Amino acid sequence: MKKSSIIGIIVIAVAIAVIISTYSSSSTYGTFTDASKTSSPLQVVGHLVKNKELYYDATKDANYFSFYMTDNRGEECKVVFTGTKPQDFERSEQIVLTGQMQGKEFHASKILMKCPSKYTQDKVEITETKANKSANL
Amino acid sequence: MSTAFQGEHLLPGQLGQFFIILSFGSALLSAISYYFATTDKTLQDNSWLKLGRIGYFVNTLSVIGIGVCLFYIIYNHLFEYHYAWAHSSRTLPVYYIISSYWEGQEGSFWLWCFWQGLLGNLLIWRAKSWEKPVMTIVALSQALLASMLIGVEIFGTRVGSSPFILLREAIPGPIFSRSDYMSFIKDGNGLNPLLQNYWMVIHPPTLFLGFASMVVPFAYAIAGLWQKRYQEWIQPAITYSLFAVMILGTGIIMGSFWAYESLNFGGFWAWDPVENASMIPWLTLIGAVHVLIVYKNTGHSYFTATFLVLISFVLVLYASFLTRSGILGETSVHAFTDLGMKWHLVIDVLIFLAITVGLLIARRKDMPITKKDEETYSREFWLFVGAIFLGLSCFHLILVTSIPVWNWIFGTKLAPPTEPVKHYNVIQASFAVVVTILTGFSQFLKYKKTDTAKFFISTGIYLFFSALIGFLIAYATGLYKLHFVFTLVMIGAVYSLLTNAKILSDAFKGKLKLAGSAVAHIGFGLILVGALIAAGTSKVVSENNSGIGFGDEFAKTSNPKENIMLYKNQPIKMGDYMVTYIGDSIAKPNHYFKVDYKKVDANGKVTEEFVLKPNSQANRKMGLVSSPDTKHYLFHDLYTHITMAPIKSDLDAAGDDEHTEEDDNKNYDAPVAHTVTVGDTIRFREGFMILKGLQKEAHVQNIPLKDKDVAVSAMLEIQSHGQTYKAQPIYMIKDGNVFDFSRKVDEAGLKLRFTKIVPEQNKFEITVYQQPESKKPYIVMRAINFPYINFFWSGTIIMVIGFLLSIFRRNQELSRTGSGKKVAYQKQHVEA
Repeated sequence: MKKSSIIGIIVIAVAIAVIISTYSSSSTYGTFTDASKTSSPLQVVGHLVKNKELYYDATKDANYFSFYMTDNRGEECKVVFTGTKPQDFERSEQIVLTGQMQGKEFHASKILMKCPSKYTQDKVEITETKANKSANL
Repeated sequence: MSTAFQGEHLLPGQLGQFFIILSFGSALLSAISYYFATTDKTLQDNSWLKLGRIGYFVNTLSVIGIGVCLFYIIYNHLFEYHYAWAHSSRTLPVYYIISSYWEGQEGSFWLWCFWQGLLGNLLIWRAKSWEKPVMTIVALSQALLASMLIGVEIFGTRVGSSPFILLREAIPGPIFSRSDYMSFIKDGNGLNPLLQNYWMVIHPPTLFLGFASMVVPFAYAIAGLWQKRYQEWIQPAITYSLFAVMILGTGIIMGSFWAYESLNFGGFWAWDPVENASMIPWLTLIGAVHVLIVYKNTGHSYFTATFLVLISFVLVLYASFLTRSGILGETSVHAFTDLGMKWHLVIDVLIFLAITVGLLIARRKDMPITKKDEETYSREFWLFVGAIFLGLSCFHLILVTSIPVWNWIFGTKLAPPTEPVKHYNVIQASFAVVVTILTGFSQFLKYKKTDTAKFFISTGIYLFFSALIGFLIAYATGLYKLHFVFTLVMIGAVYSLLTNAKILSDAFKGKLKLAGSAVAHIGFGLILVGALIAAGTSKVVSENNSGIGFGDEFAKTSNPKENIMLYKNQPIKMGDYMVTYIGDSIAKPNHYFKVDYKKVDANGKVTEEFVLKPNSQANRKMGLVSSPDTKHYLFHDLYTHITMAPIKSDLDAAGDDEHTEEDDNKNYDAPVAHTVTVGDTIRFREGFMILKGLQKEAHVQNIPLKDKDVAVSAMLEIQSHGQTYKAQPIYMIKDGNVFDFSRKVDEAGLKLRFTKIVPEQNKFEITVYQQPESKKPYIVMRAINFPYINFFWSGTIIMVIGFLLSIFRRNQELSRTGSGKKVAYQKQHVEA
């Protein structure tokens, strides 16, 4: 066999191995219900429940942060994160959690949040409220 | 209907917009002229060439014009422009105006345009016979880049995004119907505090120079295929590829240094999609450099070399699509947001991909591809294999980073790996094992054919010692406890270091031209050694097991907790150190926390003491933004950053004084009154104080005392946590009324009042207010120890030196071949 064909075969084999390993370690976005059925870590996308308590008290435990989140199906669950409260968490639009269920709580090892971009609408509102105030004076 | 708006400065924007249109038009004209200059052989005069050059010069000037207009707008705080409003503010120091250029997409496109403009001029000056075809491609690329800035509506869709768009055009809002709206817009949004860092002034320009310079080898490859000058393009392409790889590599590492020095994710590399995007083209082009050299020396691997050069530039464009289209929104924290340019960016990628594929197919028969196989024991064969593996490693990066793209194309809902860092580390390390071993033993191989017996002996010996040393290092640092592949990479990296050190020592004996590659490979080996140890065995020093009150369930499942809380002036043992949060210093907008580190030996003697000043910024837009501070040692770094601090008050500093006394008392526990005489001691939770004496005729500012008035101050000496403070609260009788003036000792969390004098007993009442634990100033911080990280940084510098040496060497070859000396293989091919 020619050497180039051997290399070709090796390349294809490695490429397939890479694809498989990527595919097997890639996960899917799930819901809290999915998370309660499995013991492996999962990613859950959802929104912060803004009218429920965000608990973080550094004087009690600097590594405990809990909040409530609804997943994309609308199911609500208490989430516990081992770490400090991410900055600006209240303003998050969307949250992607990585973690697993522990009893009735979802224990997150990673939080990725999407904040409204600095450059979009919410800033205009600020401009507007300011403007209205001064206009009323 | 048009309203006349007051206070707007429209001229700089209109001028800038004119320059944008001009730069697009002139680049397009230049590309077309160069195209006809290349294809039209019948013409006797140089008019097309002249037109092409003029077009390009005009383009360069107008790109500079755009930059000047933008600078004028930001510098003069013309917030009627969206760009200035969104990315700068009045308080921004002048030198960070440069950084605000690349906070937005438009500014970074401009930067790219600027570098590509300069490189084009360099080519007009240096490329000689290559100028026409090469500049056709560069000018085309320049035109497409300029089109990203146009920001004009064509057939109902906006093409590009202009930095000169007005705020009232960019953002709809009723306020903008007022003709005096400008009087409400006092300040801009300001620059992201994380970008207010000196590394951010130089990292993006370097990175974009790297991106921009990748168009040059691409243009040479296209020109070579197009003009059927199949061999000649290789030599100049090697030089420019080396340059691009060097600059881009430096830019990437600078970014990683910036992340290490000023971001708080606790490391120098996080496999973030944005980081990956810049590494993807680097990997393919570094592979390309190797096979280009193979082809130059042996005539093998022509297709691989050409393909890798071409695809590298397409991948640069793909990377810019990834980071700029907003498609990474769910997987990356710092990708740009969508500016509605997704399809524009896709088209950009597709145009150059089409040129690449089209030419490769059209010229497939003519390309000088050898039918003969390489010898197994030849350098060319293993360099080729190495390039293939670099390509595969790049393939993996693309595959995983592009998961959102696959979701977009195929409508799937794949999520990236739950532990991306581990996933990337293990797989990329596997490729690194192969690549490092290859950079080692291919040095013992010669081009064409090698004496096998000699080869196996020298390779074997070096490999044996590398395995020994590599394993010892892995054992000593604790690296062996991780996935075994990291130990293998360590062995590979050591192997690469040893063999290349041997080549370098040979080089000093006479074969000096080989020094470049040896030095670059040594640098690469050091980078890997440093990265492996620093990332693999970094240890969180601030482990905290004091968390209480959330039940065993929580304690069991959570990892060792990484954040530690420090009350002010209360030392806490952390690893080998006693750490104390000793104070603050504020240099607006930054709030520095002084953290004192003490190392105490068994006898209680302080062996080492230093203060780190990590800082945070309470930013109105972004909340608390923290930057770490790091103590650098020769062999390790101690990295400290604030994860939480109650400093919201920095924002409304002015409001503080208006609080009433009663409000203020809420910040303290219930007061305790002590009746004491001079010399008595008063105890409180965290120490004690002694009434040293009284001072009569104490002065209170702005309150003149009359004859009958009395003002006495109590001289208190306070001991708390090994520190001594003094305070003098004042008791006063003025016009028959009793007043007292409290004194605060914030460091000890105390407020002291001198509330009563009992003259008959010669006793005095001191009222002590103590801050409750929760109101006391505190910080939550994380500290990480990074061992041997200096190998990583020094490896980078060494690698850059290696690249420089290689560039000089190839440049000399270029001028030699240019003057008529053809390299032997080229003749062979011409004959064949």
